[in-house]
Amino acid sequence: MDFVGIQQEFAHAPATERHTHNRWEPYVDNGGTSLAIAGADYVIVASDARQSNGFNINSRYDPKAFHLSNNAILATAGYAADAKRLVEVLEQNAQMYYHKHDRVMKTSAMAQMLSNTLYGRRFFPYYVFPILAGLDNEGKGALYCYDPVGNMERVVYQSFGSASALVQPFLDNVVGFKNQRGADPARLLERDQALKIAVDAFTGATERDIYTGDWLDIFIVDRNGVTHEKRELKHD
Amino acid sequence: MEYNGSAIVAMVGKNCVAIAADKRLGQQALTVDMDFEKVFPMTDRTYIGLSGLATDVKTVHDTLRMRVNLYKHREERVIEPRTMAHMVSHMLYERRFGPYYIEPIIAGLDKNQKPFICGTDLIGCPNFPSDFVVTGTAGSNLFGMCESLWEPDLEADDLFETISQALLNAVDRDAVSGWGAVVHVITPEGVITREIKNRMD
Amino acid sequence: MNRFVEQLTKTDGAGLGESFTGTGSAPAGLNFELASGSNPASFTQQYTDVASEKDARIKIAHGTTTLAFKFREGVLVATDSRATMGNIISSQSVKKVIEINPYLLGTMAGGAADCSFWERVLGMECRLYELRNKKRISVAAASKLLANLVYRYKGMGLSMGTMVAGWDDKGPGLYYVDSDGERLTNDLFSVGSGSTFAYGVLDSHYRYDMTVEEAKDLARKAIYHATHRDAYSGGVVRMYWVNENGWVAYPLEDVGELYYQYHPEIQLTNSTESPLRVNASA
Repeated sequence: MDFVGIQQEFAHAPATERHTHNRWEPYVDNGGTSLAIAGADYVIVASDARQSNGFNINSRYDPKAFHLSNNAILATAGYAADAKRLVEVLEQNAQMYYHKHDRVMKTSAMAQMLSNTLYGRRFFPYYVFPILAGLDNEGKGALYCYDPVGNMERVVYQSFGSASALVQPFLDNVVGFKNQRGADPARLLERDQALKIAVDAFTGATERDIYTGDWLDIFIVDRNGVTHEKRELKHD
Repeated sequence: MEYNGSAIVAMVGKNCVAIAADKRLGQQALTVDMDFEKVFPMTDRTYIGLSGLATDVKTVHDTLRMRVNLYKHREERVIEPRTMAHMVSHMLYERRFGPYYIEPIIAGLDKNQKPFICGTDLIGCPNFPSDFVVTGTAGSNLFGMCESLWEPDLEADDLFETISQALLNAVDRDAVSGWGAVVHVITPEGVITREIKNRMD
Repeated sequence: MNRFVEQLTKTDGAGLGESFTGTGSAPAGLNFELASGSNPASFTQQYTDVASEKDARIKIAHGTTTLAFKFREGVLVATDSRATMGNIISSQSVKKVIEINPYLLGTMAGGAADCSFWERVLGMECRLYELRNKKRISVAAASKLLANLVYRYKGMGLSMGTMVAGWDDKGPGLYYVDSDGERLTNDLFSVGSGSTFAYGVLDSHYRYDMTVEEAKDLARKAIYHATHRDAYSGGVVRMYWVNENGWVAYPLEDVGELYYQYHPEIQLTNSTESPLRVNASA
């Protein structure tokens, strides 16, 4: 058997790996996936709870969706430490707002505040991909998604995190009715359908993405408040 | 592998297999061709899909066609899909230290009309799943779609619908693949080929 | 402005590193937290990929086609709606036209957050100008305000390529402003990864004395052709017309359907009814 190209390949191989271990590393990707779907009078948020670092699992249950004091849910993906800090900052400012205006912060106000908070760290960003879920002024499901430096968009469904490439096309298909002839793209899902899709998406993602699994936190926000449910995913 | 962009998927159904691919050839962001063939019939019931660097797609297809023809003349029979998978794997491993930048998928029906699919990496490590294989820049997207849409024992028409939806929605989230798609459904009665409607952006 | 923006941006009081308010005096009161170290600007660029377009850890939405041109009846502004992070399409529904106020528009190319944040600040500055001077700000002044805002942060890695379009005492106004500090005015601009394709269409067919319908057809065609050839542009065509009464927004047009409108001879059905080929020889 002849191995074509073996000489050239070895000739070009680098002599040694460059030393990088002394550099300060401010960011870690802790993996995990978050997803949210908005409906006519509810919004559903699902996040897995595995937290990992490379091939190691730091925790099998470290929630990355947070129930905020104004009954909004902040689902995150990316660096867990930054996400937790972001929630603290957001909660502090929501409290300040409450004491100053004697009014609970609306989802839309919090959405803009989150954007500004993220942009405030434009030159040292939070490594977080947040989704803010709540109800809008008319009681409809409101979902805002962000990039790490605060670009904001109101959406109907979104997934972020290590399995977002797996989940997002599926959501496009079954929640956004993309590539479905004759379907009304503006139709919103019923709550039980949305829940089923969210769970299906995570069972699929857990199958192929090593950073997603263990437990699934599901939050549903409606006019009666927030309900939380914890489901089991595969632990492998 | 990201230079030209591609998305290929194969799925097993009940007594049938399907293989589907996008049609784009690009140079990074620039879309050059929207009718670029990535899935090739190697025998009447064995198809190969080649994702990755377009120049190697052509070379590997040509070389493989030669080897399949030589096999036919030497053995006086048509090559089986499983045999062809090993032939491809061997051919890629010959270039272990200067590989072709392609990841092939083989789909076909064997002599007992049993569905067969196989995927390999760029140096020929084969895997033989019983459900579906994906490859290309939209590979992750395809995995997510297949994992949630595929079910066992799909009839030919349902398999066509499933693989089409999987491919279309996957390439719509990948910037460098899409621009048209082609689906082949291989059944004992023959192969049905369809071009399907796709976003052209 | 000070207190307001300070509240918006300086939410994280006890930070690790120093803070930065831009070079020179900082009347805006903006206060950004920086990483500790000798060169915070290179830190930012190492971890974010807006300016470098390289594969960095923190991916920020980019890829765009935007265009704007002056014509007999005002200014036409059109954009696509795609955002990409690497090769993944992160959104097909981005709003790349920013409504600064009822008679000023800004477009978004480069870092999405950079554009929307600074044009929001610009909107506030324009309102303050109105309150102080009892008249509307000119497009020239507004665009210069924006150029000055981002010029303070030159070298820090901001990425913004924007067109400011509007109507003032002098008639239609159109300015190009970017994060390098460039500020130009002309009859026709296109910005973003798909701009070369859009320019190709615009330069071939542009006339000053177009009607609004002709201008819309041209803009739609230019955006469509850019989305067709540029992998990082796509989604929907979003069009605005600025006239003496302010801007008008038009309904969105899906590029996925435009292709088959421009090519009526292509008949693909996506159904099991009409296969392209049936090879029954197997």
